[in-house]
Amino acid sequence: MIVTVLLISIVMLNSCTKVVDIKVGNDTDKLVIEGMVIDTAGSQSVKLTTNVPFSNSNTYPPVTGAIVSVNDGNGSTYNYIEGPSGIYTSPAFVAKAGNNYTMHVLVNGTDYTASSRMPELVVLDSLSSKVSPFDSKQREVTVYYKDPAGKANYYRFVMFLNGVQVKAVFVFNDDFNDGKKVSIDLSDDDTDMFSGDKVTVEMQCIDKSIFTYWNTLMQQGGSGPGGGVTPSNPPTNISPSVLGYFSAHTSQKKSMVLK
Amino acid sequence: MLTGSLRSFAQKRYTLSGVIKDEVTGETLIGATVRIKELPQSGSSTNNYGFYSLSAPEGKYTLLFTYVGYETISRTVSLNQNQSINVSILAKGNLQEVVITANKANSDQVKSPQMGLEKLNMAQINNVPVIMGEKDILKTISLMPGIKASSEGNTGFYVRGGGSDQNLILLDEATVYNASHLFGFFSTFNSDAIKDVSIYKGGMPAQYGGRLSSVLDIKMNEGNSKDFTVQGGIGLIASRLKVEGPIVKDKGSFMVSARRTYVDAFLKLSSDTAIKNSSLYFYDINVKANYHFNDKNAIYISGYFGKDVLGLKNIFGTNWGNATGTIRFNHLFSNRLFSNTSLIYSNYNYTIQNFQNDQGFKAVSKITDLNLKQDFQYSLNDNHLVKFGVNVLHHTISPGSINSDGSSSYNNVKTELRYGFENAAYISDEWKVSDKLSVLYGVRLNGMFLTGPGTFKSYDLKGEVLSSSTYKSNQLVKSYFNLEPRLSASYQLNEQSSVKASYNRNTQNVHLLSNSTSSTPTDLYVISSKNIKPEIADQVSAGYFRNFKDNAFEFSAEVYYKALQNQIDYKDGAQLIVNQDVEAELTYGSGRAYGIELFLKKKYGRFNGWVGYTLSKTERKFDAINGGKYFSARQDRTHDLSLVGIYTLNKRWTFSGTFVYATGNAVTYPTGKYNIGGLTTYSYSARNSYRQPATHRLDLGATLEGKENKKFSSSWTFSIYNVYSRRDPFSITFRDSKTDPTKTEAVQTSIFATPIPSVTWNFKF
Repeated sequence: MIVTVLLISIVMLNSCTKVVDIKVGNDTDKLVIEGMVIDTAGSQSVKLTTNVPFSNSNTYPPVTGAIVSVNDGNGSTYNYIEGPSGIYTSPAFVAKAGNNYTMHVLVNGTDYTASSRMPELVVLDSLSSKVSPFDSKQREVTVYYKDPAGKANYYRFVMFLNGVQVKAVFVFNDDFNDGKKVSIDLSDDDTDMFSGDKVTVEMQCIDKSIFTYWNTLMQQGGSGPGGGVTPSNPPTNISPSVLGYFSAHTSQKKSMVLK
Repeated sequence: MLTGSLRSFAQKRYTLSGVIKDEVTGETLIGATVRIKELPQSGSSTNNYGFYSLSAPEGKYTLLFTYVGYETISRTVSLNQNQSINVSILAKGNLQEVVITANKANSDQVKSPQMGLEKLNMAQINNVPVIMGEKDILKTISLMPGIKASSEGNTGFYVRGGGSDQNLILLDEATVYNASHLFGFFSTFNSDAIKDVSIYKGGMPAQYGGRLSSVLDIKMNEGNSKDFTVQGGIGLIASRLKVEGPIVKDKGSFMVSARRTYVDAFLKLSSDTAIKNSSLYFYDINVKANYHFNDKNAIYISGYFGKDVLGLKNIFGTNWGNATGTIRFNHLFSNRLFSNTSLIYSNYNYTIQNFQNDQGFKAVSKITDLNLKQDFQYSLNDNHLVKFGVNVLHHTISPGSINSDGSSSYNNVKTELRYGFENAAYISDEWKVSDKLSVLYGVRLNGMFLTGPGTFKSYDLKGEVLSSSTYKSNQLVKSYFNLEPRLSASYQLNEQSSVKASYNRNTQNVHLLSNSTSSTPTDLYVISSKNIKPEIADQVSAGYFRNFKDNAFEFSAEVYYKALQNQIDYKDGAQLIVNQDVEAELTYGSGRAYGIELFLKKKYGRFNGWVGYTLSKTERKFDAINGGKYFSARQDRTHDLSLVGIYTLNKRWTFSGTFVYATGNAVTYPTGKYNIGGLTTYSYSARNSYRQPATHRLDLGATLEGKENKKFSSSWTFSIYNVYSRRDPFSITFRDSKTDPTKTEAVQTSIFATPIPSVTWNFKF
């Protein structure tokens, strides 16, 4: 990652980028499901939308009239209520670690199902900021947590800069730091962060299939030499196959003002 | 035929053999020909060590020794016993080369049964303009038809639809795993140290094996055995120095050639902290020595060592490099039986280090080969040249390890080493069936043996473990045998033209896993295992070859079809670095490639050069990708055109130019978008169903020779890369619009957006 960053900065001495007009085909009006159960009250939601042509604006038509429910694996089923913008919600429960949640979405006669096991919470200890090694005016954010030893853990971080989500995927596993006190720098080539900016970081403990989903998107995000890996739709845990995922995960947030 | 055989039995035949050398430097010449004037059908050419062998009935003859760019010399000989004749021939001077027309040029390309072979003349490589003035073998070969550069500025190349890891790159017989410096901007081959470059695109002779698509056989200079000379060059980004000379005059010589870039010196001048604190350089050293004990025994020792270093002070560092070593012993059992024994070492390794306290670690990966080869060349008679041999190649692969100290947030991670033998035996015969028909046929038997110690798992399609077994040291885990037939034939239509056809099977047991298209140091090598089967390619090709104007022009047209089995790709989100279970991340499929290559070359005269054009299709098929349907491989390029021109104005000035045009890469563009996790995300349909815009570029070069002086000579090389500022797309990516965040846009990155001039000063004394 960091190698690519340096390579890019060197290559950029003589390179240029420009916005180009590309003719692409349309394979749209496909169902997109984003389902989440988290360990915070009042936040269980499943969002149903469809994809749109590349040339459209970034607004996505809601899918209405679906029947959505989630089973907690202990005999309780929660029926979701349709709200605006294709968001279906249930205020009735808080997800618990170790439970295997199963989502059912019935749309136009097709029953889409997916399961996700809620991981144990790993505490987000703290955030700190430091000067970027690539540009002394800029800042980087570091997150700290203690990885539990002896089992596989997967993490996703969502970063907000002055209230706006940073457009990058940050996911990590513990292959190389199982059981360690971990510090990870969060930075994105296209996001400039300066002293005085307010940063909020959400840490999610996710399951393996969701890690693979986000990791696929993260690898495709690379715009380094060769344009990163050949892009494809990330592998979903929903069947029958559809765009999107269903994730049971923990959610913690911390904020700081960059020094 | 019958009368011919009778005659040859009736008369006693004797064998002539010897070595052909350059008169000035004493370097042996590879591929020089010997002919008997009185017997027009006789002929032989020198092997990789300059050795030839030829037989004829008793008699008085005139021998003609010829080599491209050299004066032809003749010797009269009374053949009444087996004889050894060593000759030295003189390179034509620059001016003479212009004046003398090609009437003595040989017509090997028409007559030889070999096809799919491109040979590069070092003089041409030196004249072809390249980026930053660093003349480069790999960039020059990508100007040949059927050979395509993997991307702009990159030394990776694709041959007839094969991947860049399917090329066997040999430097004095040692495998070079990563042939690029600085992520592929430069190749590891310093052309000062190189004597001969041959690339086989098809019809591979049986003595080569191990990769599917091509063999790039590079041989180093042996060193001047007559005089000490020093030559070098000072360029904008790199300098070179070569020293060579006799160890014992006419018996042994040495050569040492080194170069280093100094881009980092310029980085220090930058005001940008990141650039100022970064290091970025490479160096490489070629060393070779030889000693001829007598006419029958000679020893050659050669080595290469290269390293790339890239880093940011106190933050991270990475370095990678190849090392190779070859010891060869030539022995002449008789003047018909030539033997070479080689012991070869090859190593590629990379290290990535993070120096930050709490995130410090050091990741290391390497592959080491030890190879023992025994090759024989037997001139059975005038009509049969038999080659046979065996080799035992041992691989040790360290897929990666991570080392860290106590304060780091990283653990020590170690993956098991992998060991394997690749053993092979081959035999081939070049048979002159008649005056018109020649056949080169042979077979290679390849055995792959994966051995312990270690725990070896097999996985199902989903990557779940099916079984796991532990093996002891040297215990056989898995073996594969492959028989590789090789056949190539030529039929001469007349003195100027011939048709040829070939079939060959190649297999590959060392596989590269890389999730990037550029050559990155973290490329990971794996060997065939319980899960990974040997890759297999079958290629048929046919061609028409014609020479014009006393062999000054060569024209060829070749068609090929290649079927590939057991191709490897990786699953989405695969983690390749330091992963013991990396085989669980793989998926397997097949491929096919076909095309036509047209090539017209002018070999001599004031103006020379070539035009190469390829029309081709390259596809891959994987159950897990694109719904199991064929898709265009990334290296698929419908049209590929190269023009190379070199013009010698006078004794001092030479001008050159290259123009390339190619269909854009097959790429996957979004066919829609949606929002997930708060991010604009793109949806995709068929893989690689779109094309990047076509690429094209013009480069110009000029060489100014200094005033002639017996003791000291110098020259200036000027070049301009990308003369008309073409902004070829390097990548096209998609993002939310910077000006209107409610929209999305496509962004094209070009790495060389402006003309890049360069100048190099070369000297020799």
